[in-house]
Amino acid sequence: MLSEWLFSIYSGIASGLAVFLVAAGLSWVFGILKILNMAHGNFFMVGTYVAYSVVGQRPESLAAFMGASLLAAAVVGLLGFITDKVMLRRLRGADYHYVLMGTFALAMLVEGVVKLIWGVDLTTVNPPPVLDAPVDIGGVMVPRFTLFAIGAGLAVFAALDLALNRTWAGKLMQAVAADPWMAGMMGINVPMLLAVSVTASFALAGLAGGLLLPFQSLSPDIGNSYLLLAFFAVIIGGLGNIRGAFLASVLLGVVQQVSTIAVPNFPGLTVYVALAVFLIWWPNGIFPPAGLK
Amino acid sequence: MIARAVAMGAGAAVVGAAFALPWWANPGMLFLAGLTLIQALFALSWNLLFGYAGLASFGHAGFFAIGAYFTGACLKYKFGIPFPFVLALAGLSGAAVAWLIGIVALRRLAGIFLAVLTVALSEVLRLIIGYTKFLGREDGLNDIPRPTIDLGVVTLDLTSSEAYFVFLLAACSLLTAMMWWLVHSRFGRTFQTIRQDAERAAFIGTNVSAYRIAAFMISGALAAIAGGLFAPWTRIVTTDEVHWLMSIQPMLNTLLGGVGSFWGPIVGAMAFAAINYGTRTFVGLAEVIVGGILLLVILVAPHGLLGLVSALRARMVRGHPAAARETPLPERQR
Repeated sequence: MLSEWLFSIYSGIASGLAVFLVAAGLSWVFGILKILNMAHGNFFMVGTYVAYSVVGQRPESLAAFMGASLLAAAVVGLLGFITDKVMLRRLRGADYHYVLMGTFALAMLVEGVVKLIWGVDLTTVNPPPVLDAPVDIGGVMVPRFTLFAIGAGLAVFAALDLALNRTWAGKLMQAVAADPWMAGMMGINVPMLLAVSVTASFALAGLAGGLLLPFQSLSPDIGNSYLLLAFFAVIIGGLGNIRGAFLASVLLGVVQQVSTIAVPNFPGLTVYVALAVFLIWWPNGIFPPAGLK
Repeated sequence: MIARAVAMGAGAAVVGAAFALPWWANPGMLFLAGLTLIQALFALSWNLLFGYAGLASFGHAGFFAIGAYFTGACLKYKFGIPFPFVLALAGLSGAAVAWLIGIVALRRLAGIFLAVLTVALSEVLRLIIGYTKFLGREDGLNDIPRPTIDLGVVTLDLTSSEAYFVFLLAACSLLTAMMWWLVHSRFGRTFQTIRQDAERAAFIGTNVSAYRIAAFMISGALAAIAGGLFAPWTRIVTTDEVHWLMSIQPMLNTLLGGVGSFWGPIVGAMAFAAINYGTRTFVGLAEVIVGGILLLVILVAPHGLLGLVSALRARMVRGHPAAARETPLPERQR
């Protein structure tokens, strides 16, 4: 009984960190551009499909798997750069509703293109052999791949947090997020930093797509399932706050997994109820939006 | 004046052609036309909120589903309530739910937070319906019978598709007329002052949150009635009607037609139906075309098809008041 609860908390953390991989880029772009990108989940999906096209259904080694993920990050990052040039640039400063609907239109476009290229069939991809077997941690058998997902989530969080808070470029990003006009007056190349942010955020989505490939079956729907949770994480965490998004992702993952044991008759409901209660009690999130952190 | 006459003539021609539809269209076309009417009404209800009161609900399908399931259950389980009352009750329940959400959330949330909250609530509704045996769980309610309306002297039998379509068209026209009257009344114009500047509206003594809740309730009621008309038309209601993609539909219709105009959602619904009909057989292509068109609309013509028409007209007629007006994307409010 106890091990059942422990296991559900553990898998909650794992799926929460998986969600964080998607939420990180979403939060970053919101923090700096104030654009909530509805298409983020679908670019994540492009990442999964690109990686799948490279490694196939049975990745041979961890190296091949990581290589495919990095390639997916590069491809999606490039798409992000193009998207920024063609579209997001024009949406800066536009009314929130138009931004949401514009990026939704982009999401639809991307979904259609994915269906045209890769079809609509379900496919499953195995983890590379190294990560396939379960492992025994203190009497609880956990799939080794979930450990990998946790590691990836933590690594991405640590890298982003360090980069944003401890490096010169990160400080510049924060300056632009806080006040783009003033940052421009100080001689910071604002358009370039914005383009870099969008590209990096999309690359993160692509990377997440590659890394989480074996986590679920591959279909043109997976973008949506992650997007909604990532959205919630970004909202609960406080818009644009990456630490908040990290905490909220883990929180949502744990709530979701534990609720499958606590209220088994209503799977999936608890997350939404938790979100609604949270929004009403704490309308600005864990860390109220004050720019990029 | 001439333009106005042309527009009215075109509108009358469209409505007339629609009334004649059962006599010449094939059943598939008729079905699609009925769905378009319902989508137009649904989009109209959303635009009351967005275009007039400046609030965006991203879970509007929730209201639609409340009406659809309510009507579907009333007809299927033969509660014996006359159909017009069923529709009215559906509208009332939509308004009641909107009121509840309004008093809890509208005072605290706006913009993105309201958008996400409404998405979450509609997803909750979808899951609850999916767990309710009475409402057919994930499979929904099927075999919903079409109603007959007993008027005392005559009985309207709406069992056939043709008869129900005429009823649908009449109901949609009536509701649209009521909406037109509403948004052009003093009450409706107050919504616009709030959308343009809530702070100033409060300064001149408008009770902003009361008006917002009122707009939310009217919009919810209308969406529920659209759902109520939908259930007997398709004769099946499933949880697809609560899916968030269904919530997006009225936004797409409104944007495509034109946000700033009362008739925009209706024109958009018609254009959207035509696009969907043209691309229905290609998997994936439909999304590419719909998404591409929408993207183009937002980037190039953010005021939709009707915005394009008035811009063209302004260009042709020298000295037209709209000639000086550009059509940029509406800017974000601080």
